[in-house]
Amino acid sequence: MNTIAENIADFLKEYPPFDNLTFQELSAIATSIRVLNLEKNETLFQINDKLHDCFYVVASGVIHLSVIADAEETLLNKCHAGDILGLRPFFAKNNYMMTAKAREESIIYAIPIVTFRPFVANNPDVLNFLLESFATNTWNPKEKENLRGKLANDNVFYIDQKSEMQYFQSLTYNRLPLTATINDIAKDVALRMTENSSTSVVICDNQLPIGIVTHTDMCSKIATGQFPLTVTMKAIMSAPVVTVVENVSLAEAQLLMLKNNVTHLCVTSDGTDKSTVKGVISEHDLIIAQANNPGVLIKEIKRSSNAKDLKHLRERLTELIQNSIHKNIPLSNINNIASEINSAILKRAVELSILDLGSPPARFAWLSIGSQGRKEQLLLTDQDSLLIFEDVMPDKYRDVRDYFLKLGKKATAILEKVGYELCPNGHMASNMLWCKSLTDWTKQYDSWMNTPGENSNDLSSIFFDLELVFGEKKIFEAIENVILKDLDHNTLFFDFLGNDALRKNSPLTFFKKFVLEEDEPNKDKFDIKTRALMPLIDGARLFALHFNIKGLNNTYQRFKQLAIIDAKNSDIYLNCAEAFLTLSKFRVSEGLKNENSGQYINLSELTKLDKEKLKNALAPMKELEELIKSNFKLTQFS
Amino acid sequence: MLDWLKNINKEYPDFWKTYLAKFEHKSKRYVVFSTETSGLNPDKDVILSIGSFAIVNNKIHIGDSFESILLQYKYFHDNGLSNEFILESKMKKLSEPEAIHAFIDYIGNAVLIGHHVDFDVDMINSALMRLDCGRLKNEALDIDVMYRKLIDVNDKQFSLDELSEIFKLPKSYRKSPSEEAYTIALLFLKLKNRLGIK
Repeated sequence: MNTIAENIADFLKEYPPFDNLTFQELSAIATSIRVLNLEKNETLFQINDKLHDCFYVVASGVIHLSVIADAEETLLNKCHAGDILGLRPFFAKNNYMMTAKAREESIIYAIPIVTFRPFVANNPDVLNFLLESFATNTWNPKEKENLRGKLANDNVFYIDQKSEMQYFQSLTYNRLPLTATINDIAKDVALRMTENSSTSVVICDNQLPIGIVTHTDMCSKIATGQFPLTVTMKAIMSAPVVTVVENVSLAEAQLLMLKNNVTHLCVTSDGTDKSTVKGVISEHDLIIAQANNPGVLIKEIKRSSNAKDLKHLRERLTELIQNSIHKNIPLSNINNIASEINSAILKRAVELSILDLGSPPARFAWLSIGSQGRKEQLLLTDQDSLLIFEDVMPDKYRDVRDYFLKLGKKATAILEKVGYELCPNGHMASNMLWCKSLTDWTKQYDSWMNTPGENSNDLSSIFFDLELVFGEKKIFEAIENVILKDLDHNTLFFDFLGNDALRKNSPLTFFKKFVLEEDEPNKDKFDIKTRALMPLIDGARLFALHFNIKGLNNTYQRFKQLAIIDAKNSDIYLNCAEAFLTLSKFRVSEGLKNENSGQYINLSELTKLDKEKLKNALAPMKELEELIKSNFKLTQFS
Repeated sequence: MLDWLKNINKEYPDFWKTYLAKFEHKSKRYVVFSTETSGLNPDKDVILSIGSFAIVNNKIHIGDSFESILLQYKYFHDNGLSNEFILESKMKKLSEPEAIHAFIDYIGNAVLIGHHVDFDVDMINSALMRLDCGRLKNEALDIDVMYRKLIDVNDKQFSLDELSEIFKLPKSYRKSPSEEAYTIALLFLKLKNRLGIK
């Protein structure tokens, strides 16, 4: 009798495959368990390590599984409490193919293979689960959903995955290429190619590739009559053949084809033509690999028919963003792609609601406000939206308004299911305050902008970052013009916005130390959203409105544009633009790491270099503040 | 002062001789243990139960464990207490001599780990005295001392609950010595790592 073994058995029985075993069996297994504590960033096992004599179950904490392709580390999976990892010793004899590293301090149960093997042998359900886990590609979130709760995250070999970041993913290609010798006759080879519907045949001498014959060769050399049907391969093959290593990426393969002007690459075990043939990559493989790109994602969004589909697609977007960040793709590019896809999801959510409710009784415009309005929404943050419908006859007004409120409620509910939380301040089209006719909205903006101090409690600056998601462009333009007209010589309003922008607390103390949160739950973390990003966002908006910049909502682009318009201060704007990207990147990385909005940065996790980088990115803010102070006489409200 | 001279010719029980013989080699094994006692006076109070686990190579071996309830009939009788709660428990029950004997066999020459371990060692020593044995020879480490060393604080003691809280370990509601020992073991692994003890 062992109290702790029973406690561990209690824990295990909640999770597959252990739920197939009896409590007595689990207690017996638990007595042979060894418990490990992993420090943060400690490695449990890594690629090419000898197999351990046990597999692992996460008791607490998070373990990241990753593989390396093209010298880049790619995150495959995150294992949380109850997840199984390191199953390879059950099924294979060669070394580990991935790296398992603790993302945070974790406690791990190590279960010896010897102890567990009898249970696998005697229990088909357990065996199936392990096999499935071993073989399944968990990289694809759609499959992840199907298998959630019954799947261990492991043993994915990287060639099989379709990661979203097209150009850096490894390729899937033909691993059983057709081969022939130099003495084979053209007609026979052509017949075999047709039979196997293959576009190429590798000419081998003793397993080593010496040349290749493709469709093109057959066309240009045989069909033209240049050679007879009975010619040997020796005469028509292209040699030498271009060879590559096994885990070549799409980008690399594409470059090689372009450089050598060929349509096929031969994969060999060490990447030279002095080793055995492992496969053939054709141009077609490249096309297939690219099918999983943002364009396809948008197409799929347009075809999706319910919230669940959209949720899968949003998850794929997250993977896309995560990978892009891993690959150091410029954040402004990621922003553009992500916001396009986000817009498509929002649009589809409204469309689906209309399909459900029937055609709208009047023309309308659904606008995104806040971060999506600025096209800066990389993480799943809350949704902010408003709805404007055209003016209708008074007797119809009630019905029309009711319809649009219903529409707002439905669409926001769909988006909530997709993963966008409802706005805590109720800035959504489902709210009666923000679902109004054009006249009402015009009045609303007029009163906000002409008498900003009076009703300021419901005025949020996010209402000035607008983007049309769905509906009539004319309505959107009408409201834009209202804003533009009200801006003219409106010092009062700029005062208000200016004060609003300056009100945020400064990020550094007098001694140039980070100002950290003092209260739980985010004690000792740095609030990057309010202390660093918001001042830049507010500043950019203020100046953009001031200089009448229309159509650019993105903070980065606003600063870039400002640098052109207000040339004498261009340095400040450009610095701010860069700083904004750097800060956003910190936030996104933090958010992806912890699966939250990334608002609070844990400074103790940053390297010294990163901390310096972060600090430097805060410097331009001060200059921006001075610029705001000198540009706008901030007296009325201070 | 010359006590040890008196003891030199004294005949120890066999298990104690075996125990002493184990110290010819240095051990790589750690044994984490915790005792439940009737009170805080090593001379008058007795051990009611012991829980312990071994740590080898930074791994807690769940199977390599010892836990037992000590049937202290005499103590309960002398103090007029009921021993019902002991009889209800499903844990292994041994008399004090049997339990101490088994425990000594179990720990061998391992390094002992505990929370405020001096007291636990004192309790074991008193029990050993009743069996005509010497004092424990094992090296003993205290996780509270380790933690104070880590944060460089001398004027404060930390309870096991406080340490669990600091290291974000889940709290267990039932407090058997085995569960305490397990918690201490996890804390020890974390502290060992942080202090860089090999």
